[in-house]
Formats: sequence, C-alpha cells, structure tokens
Amino acid sequence: MLYILILLLGGAFSYFGPWWTIAPVSFVICFCLPQKPSAAFWTSAFAGVTLWVGYSVYLHIGADTDLTARVAGIFTAGVPALADMPAIALVVILATLVVAPVSGFAGLAGVKIRQLIRSSL
Amino acid sequence: MKLVRHLWPLLVALMLMYMFHRSWGVIPPLGKLFNPFVGFLQNAEQGSGIRDGEIVLAGLRGAVTVWYDDNAVPHIFAQNDDDLYFAQGYVIAKDRLWQMEFYSLVAAGRLTEVVGPGALEYDRYNRRIGMARTAANITEKLKNDTVANRILTAYAAGVNAYIDQLAARDLPVEYKLLNYKPERWSPYKSILMLMNMRHTLSGGSYDYRLTNVLTEYGPDVMADLFPDYPAIESPIVPQGTPWAFSPLAVPAAPNVVAAPPDTALLAFHVPEPRPEVGSNNWAVGGRKSATGLPILANDPHLQLTLPSIWYQMQLSSPNENVYGVALPGTPAIIIGFNKDVAWGVTNTGSDVMDFYRIRFRDATLRTYWHDGQWKPTTRYIETYRMKDGSKVQDTLYYTHQGPIVYHEKRSTNYSSNIPVGYAMRWIANETDGADLLTFHYLNRATDYEDYRKALTYFTAPAQNFVFSSNGGDIAIVSNGKLPLKWKEQGKYLLDGTLGAHDWQGWIPREQNPGVKNPPRGFVSSANQFPADTTYPYYLDWRFAHSSRAIRINERLDAMMHATADSLRVLQNDNYNVDARRILPRLLTSLALNDSIRQSAEYAALARWNYRNDADAVGASIFENWLDDLLRGIWGDEFPAEKRLLYPSLDRTFELINNEPGAKWFDRVDTPDTIETIDDIVHGSFKTAMAKLRERFGELSARTWAWANVKQTRIAHLVPNFTSFGRKNVLNGGGSGVVNATSRTHGPSWRMVVQLDTDWPVAYGLYPGGQSGNPGSKYYDNMIDRWAAGQLDTLLFMKRVDEQSERLLHRTSLKPKNQ
Repeated sequence: MLYILILLLGGAFSYFGPWWTIAPVSFVICFCLPQKPSAAFWTSAFAGVTLWVGYSVYLHIGADTDLTARVAGIFTAGVPALADMPAIALVVILATLVVAPVSGFAGLAGVKIRQLIRSSL
Repeated sequence: MKLVRHLWPLLVALMLMYMFHRSWGVIPPLGKLFNPFVGFLQNAEQGSGIRDGEIVLAGLRGAVTVWYDDNAVPHIFAQNDDDLYFAQGYVIAKDRLWQMEFYSLVAAGRLTEVVGPGALEYDRYNRRIGMARTAANITEKLKNDTVANRILTAYAAGVNAYIDQLAARDLPVEYKLLNYKPERWSPYKSILMLMNMRHTLSGGSYDYRLTNVLTEYGPDVMADLFPDYPAIESPIVPQGTPWAFSPLAVPAAPNVVAAPPDTALLAFHVPEPRPEVGSNNWAVGGRKSATGLPILANDPHLQLTLPSIWYQMQLSSPNENVYGVALPGTPAIIIGFNKDVAWGVTNTGSDVMDFYRIRFRDATLRTYWHDGQWKPTTRYIETYRMKDGSKVQDTLYYTHQGPIVYHEKRSTNYSSNIPVGYAMRWIANETDGADLLTFHYLNRATDYEDYRKALTYFTAPAQNFVFSSNGGDIAIVSNGKLPLKWKEQGKYLLDGTLGAHDWQGWIPREQNPGVKNPPRGFVSSANQFPADTTYPYYLDWRFAHSSRAIRINERLDAMMHATADSLRVLQNDNYNVDARRILPRLLTSLALNDSIRQSAEYAALARWNYRNDADAVGASIFENWLDDLLRGIWGDEFPAEKRLLYPSLDRTFELINNEPGAKWFDRVDTPDTIETIDDIVHGSFKTAMAKLRERFGELSARTWAWANVKQTRIAHLVPNFTSFGRKNVLNGGGSGVVNATSRTHGPSWRMVVQLDTDWPVAYGLYPGGQSGNPGSKYYDNMIDRWAAGQLDTLLFMKRVDEQSERLLHRTSLKPKNQ
C-alpha cells in the first residue's frame, strides 16, 4: 500500500515538480501512515528506485538515438574499466544511488518526525 | 538527545538533496541529471522531435508558418520582416540555444561563470583583445540604425520568446550537465557572435616571430626567405586585369620599420594565423556552364564541431525569399541564394592585426609617449565571476591604437603571440559599419548592383564575396575595411611612439581587389593573394599557401559544360599540387639511398598518384614526411624555442627545386660536416617513416591508408564531452588540397547553386545536423554523407502552400491576442 502510494503520488508530482519531489512525497506519506522505521526507509527507497529506474528505462527504450550512451560516455571517459558496461546499466546504478537514499531517508524522517510530535504531545 | 534521535533522518535527507542538487567540480548535479522526469533522458527524442501544431507567442504581429523538411530544415514564411527575424530567432533557439549562448560567453570572456576558474586565462585573453567592449560599442551605435536595430531587436525577441516558454525538462542537455540556465538574449549577444567570427578569421599574427627573424638574420635574409609575394601564385583577380581607378598616394615607409621586444619581455606567446581556417569559393559564368547561366560554389573551412557552426534555413517574407546557412545567434542568412542571385564567402586574410611597442612614462601605465607628447591611457576594470560566485578583477589599458593585451610578465598568459607592453590595433575592434546589413541586403538582392550596394555595409574582417546572378553576372570582391599601409607596414612589431607607424587611413572601398565577368569565364578564391604585384596597395606579405587556388583555377580553366555535379566533384578534389611540385625532385633524391630505394615506403610513395584519397598510402607518407622535412631544413636555423618562423612552403619548395646548393640545407649544429639537400631528404624520410611505423605498424594498405592516419574528428564544443563528438570520420583531403579536410578542420558547409531564370536548383550539406541536441537523430545525421562527398538537394520552396513529400511537419506561430 505504502509502496503503491509513493509510486503513484511520486510519479504524479514528479511530472511537475523539481528532481527532489520524491523526497517530500515519501516524507508526507510516511508521516501520515504509521510505519515501522525500517519499513518506511526501505519501502520509500524501493518505490523511488522503481519510479526513476522504470521511467528511465522506458525513455531509453523509446528513444531513437542513444543519448544514454553519450551521457554515460562523459562519466566513463577517464575510467576504461567502466567503458564496457552497457550505458543504461550505469545510468540505472547512478539513478539508484541518488534516489534510494534521498527517498529512503525522507520516508524515515516522516516516521521519526511523527514520533517526535506524538511524544511531545 | 531525543531531538537528535528523531531529526537525524531529516537532516540526512536534506543533506543528500543538497549534495545531489549542485555540481562538484566536474561532477554534474546528479539529482537533476538522473531524474528521468527532468534529467537528460527528457532530451532523448522519439521520432523527429518536431511537433506539428500551433504555438502562441507574444511579440508576433501576424501568423508565421514554419515547415520542417525531411532534414529538419525549417522553412519560415512570415507576413512582414519583423516577424521573419522574430521567427528566425525563435526557430534557431529551439535547435541551438545552448550553442549560441556558449559562443556569446566565449566572446564576452565569461566562460568562468559556467565552467569555473579553469577558463580564467582564456577569458582574460578574450577580454584583453577587446571583443566584449567592441561588441557593446557596436550595439550602441546600431541603436541609431533603424534597419539594423529592428532586425536585432526582433531576433532577440524571438529567442527570448523561446527561452520564456522553456521548461526545466526541455533545457538543452549541456545546461543540465554544466548546471546553469540560459540568460535572456539581446542584440549585444548577436554582435558578440559576429565578434567570435571576426576573431576566428583574423585573430592570429606572425609579427612577433618575424620580428625575431629580422633581429636574428637581418633584412637581406628576410628579403630572400620571407618575400612579399610567392614564387608561384594564382591570385584572385586574374593576372593582367587592369585596375580601373586612380590610386591614392601610398604613404612612404619610415626609416624604422620594426620595434623588437626587449629580451626581458619575451614572456608571451601569440596565436599564429591558423592555416586550416580558410575556404574555397568560385562561380563559373554561362559560357562555361551546361545551362548557359552561372553556377556558384562555396565551402568555408572551419574547425569541425558539434553542434555545427552552421544552421540551414529558408526565410521568406513579402520582401525576400532566401535559403542558405545562418550562424546561430545571428540574424539573416550568411551564405546562400535566392531566386535571382547566389553568394558565398572566403576569408581574405590580409594583415589587419598589428602590435605597437608602447613606451609608458612609468609603471602606473597611465601615460604613454606618442608622436612627440605624453598621452593618457584609458583604464577599464574587468570583473570575472566564477561559477561559485566569487570574483576576480583585472585592469585593462587602452592606447589610441587599442588594448594593451598583456602588460606584465606572467607565466600563465593564455595566449602567446601578444607582446608584453604592446598595444594591439586590430580590425575586429572597428565599430563602424553594420556587417549584418550586408547579409540582410544580400538576402534580398536581385542583381549585381544590389550586391555591390550590400557589400558597402561590411567592415571586418575582409571577405572574398563571390557572386552570381541569373542575369548572367559573376563577380568576386575582397570586401571589408582594409588599412592603407606603407609597404611592409606591420610585417614586424611596430613602434608605438611614432605617428608614422599608425594605420594611415583606409583603402577606398571601391578600390579593393575585385573582378566582374573576367574573360576567363570564372571567378574564384581560396584565401590566396587577392591580386598580383601590380595592385597599388600593400595588403600583406603572406596569404594562404597557393596550392588550393592553383588547383581550382586549373580545373575551372579546363572545365566546359560545367554542371552542379562538376562543381561538387571539384569541392571534393583531393589532388595534391604540392606533391606534383616537389615530389619528383624528392624521389630522385630518395633513390640515391639504397636502403630507402628498396623500402616498401619508397615504393608506395613512387606509385602514388598525388591524390589525398581516403585509401592513399602515398598521401600518408607524403603529408607526414613534409613536417619532418621542414624541420630538417629549417629547425636548426629557426628553432621553435627561439620563437622564429619557418619560411613559407612556397619558398621552401623553390629552394628544393631550384636552389639545392643553398646554405640552409647545411645543418648549423654539425660544424664539422656539410649536409646537402640529399642528406636532409634521406634523414627526414627515415625519421618520418619510423614515426609512422611506431604509430601504425609495418606498412599495410589498411593501417597506413590516409583516412586512418589523418583521423578526422568532429568534437563537441565542450572538450570534456568527448562522447558527444564523432571520431574516426573516414575521408580523404588535407589542408593543402581543395577538399581541405584535415584532422580537426574542414569544409563546414558545402553549397552549389545552379541559377536559372525560373527557379534555382541548389545542393548543400554540412558535417553535423540541424539539431544541437545529442539526443536527436538530426544531431549528426549529415556527417556520413559529408564524408562521402555527397550533397543534399535543397528544398527551396516558392510559396508556403507548395506541396512536397519532403515537408514533414508544420508549426504555426500565432500572435497573442488574436
């Protein structure tokens, strides 16, 4: 449920918002729906990754040119070991490294702030 | 404690967001870049990336229709000229916004703002040669020119209309990678674009090195090795053409002609003219063409880049209908054709950059001595903003000659042919005229008179404007402001204290070299001497090496019943005139050495047909050997570390063919032996072949093929973005052949226009694509056809409702409130 909500609302808001939109979405949802902290972290992270990686792969496959390879080439230019990796794999890894902690910690923060407010009442 | 226990995830999340939001050194902002909703993947286009439909734009007066053809070339139909230039700005910005802004930042010396302090010396150099200040002055003056001002304002409004509706996700990918946003466009920025071109075409100088040669060897050697006209030349105005004007009195040369630098000030480096930056153009008259009407061809040679320097488009309003290429950021078509005329340009390349040794009163640099009195310098404070917001300031001084490019010894000075304590007089800093009006009026010209009138607006740097009309005229003029000089004025560094060393006015424009409908039936240029020695004015001691010009003129002389395809073939001609000129003599010499004569390399060279074709092994051997041969002959007397200049190819070839006993063949670093020309030829050949073997292994038809050795590449404008460029473009050519494709430079637009009384037929293409987006299939789609020497048939529409299968998309630009 949490996963689906973050995925749907995250997707909808990301369409209009800045790149970090997933963070407030995870935060608010985890704040409103009581969770265990670990579940909040991992579900938020996983939903964020699903959203970013899923849409990335969709755009990559639908494109008529391999922009992914060109952009990945900028990152692998000085690192021959990475040059053999498929470009989309590198993009998926980097996207995951960005969105997983951002979304995960935002979700965790939602739970923790909720606890803080409740315990102060 | 409780607070910390509950708040830390929030702090971590915020910290991560901050970290991924900004760029760190060369690492781009990873959050923005890899979020698929706003990041680079939004630039990965499906299909053509062009949408049919309507766009409402504030600032338009009437509706504008833009048709896109199958090569993504826009055909703009507007109902008035303001809307035409507005739409041109809008449409170019849509495809090339990042590129045009990047050029404007380069010319303004503001790259540090987007790439950081690494660009500071480059920026400092560009500011110190005065480009931004001159662009601002030109813009200010053009505000009083109603026509130019309207064009520039409408164009800028069009660009801004695009910027205003640009969502973050649609930003060109370079902005996302470098993490900045476009500024608003303005007429000033369009002028900066033209300044960039002025710099590219006239931003080099031999003066410093030549002064060193004069100091080292004296005037007799100068006259012998650095003469004012080559031994073999084929000038633009055919030899024997009478000059139909009475020339002005040429100022007498003063006793002192050079002001060498003090040795203590030998701290700089100045760029030399780039021989790869050159161009070809020609027009054959009706007597030589199959149609009985002129055919015109042009291919400007510039650095090969992605996005391409040119952008194809058709501009149509009730006052004009023109097709050709524009420079992104600049209104009008620069090289092109309309129903009645066609025109093209090559660089004239005369000496329009001189340096004056300035005698300052003291280290404050406030006052300098000139023509018998102390005069004040003008001071400007230049501020450079870094990417992180910090600032660096720098003082720039001007004398009446121009900016003092460097006035102190610094090891980090970006460029070097500029003397320390020398002021620069440079044509690019002239602020009169309105170059862009030349193109505006050429776009709507109908005959020779219109062409000549359009040329009068052009200032700098002088270009060889070739012209043809369906009235049957062909013409070429070296057009632009040319300083009136005494003979050899500015061949060396000049003395800033002497009034006689100032530029002495201008050659009257109508007396610039030019020719109309010459008896030989064609006109042409390849950056060579505009005129032979009968021309009454001094232009320069050296122009581009004559090999391309000789070949073009030989071919056109022989050509009858020429078609557009004959001219396309000539544009791709790989014949090496230099090889024809000296290889027979060199082979005779090589054959004297047994080991060389029996080598595979010698055999390949002897078999070679003098063509720099893609598969030619002989071309690889000849071109690579030439460098070592020159070093063998001149490297001892004119070493690079002493900042001396080698004599020209022409002079070297004369020496090899006609003066084999010259003392220059004897190496000065071997006092006990006397080397002959044969020793130098053998030694340099062995050295060059050893280098080739080291790079490409033992001689083989595949690895030693010229295309593989030359390795033409087309790089992205950001050097680090190597994966945005194309490497190993396989083609023939060479800097000295008509198909002037070297490793990094080449024909940046090839065009052939066959005029007709009814409707012209035109062909063209450039090594890139219409889109500046590396995620578009139109980013580099013309490169392979370009490398193969093909041309596209250009779709030149008569009317907006013309039917063609090649028209794929229609965009309507609609004014707001209508």
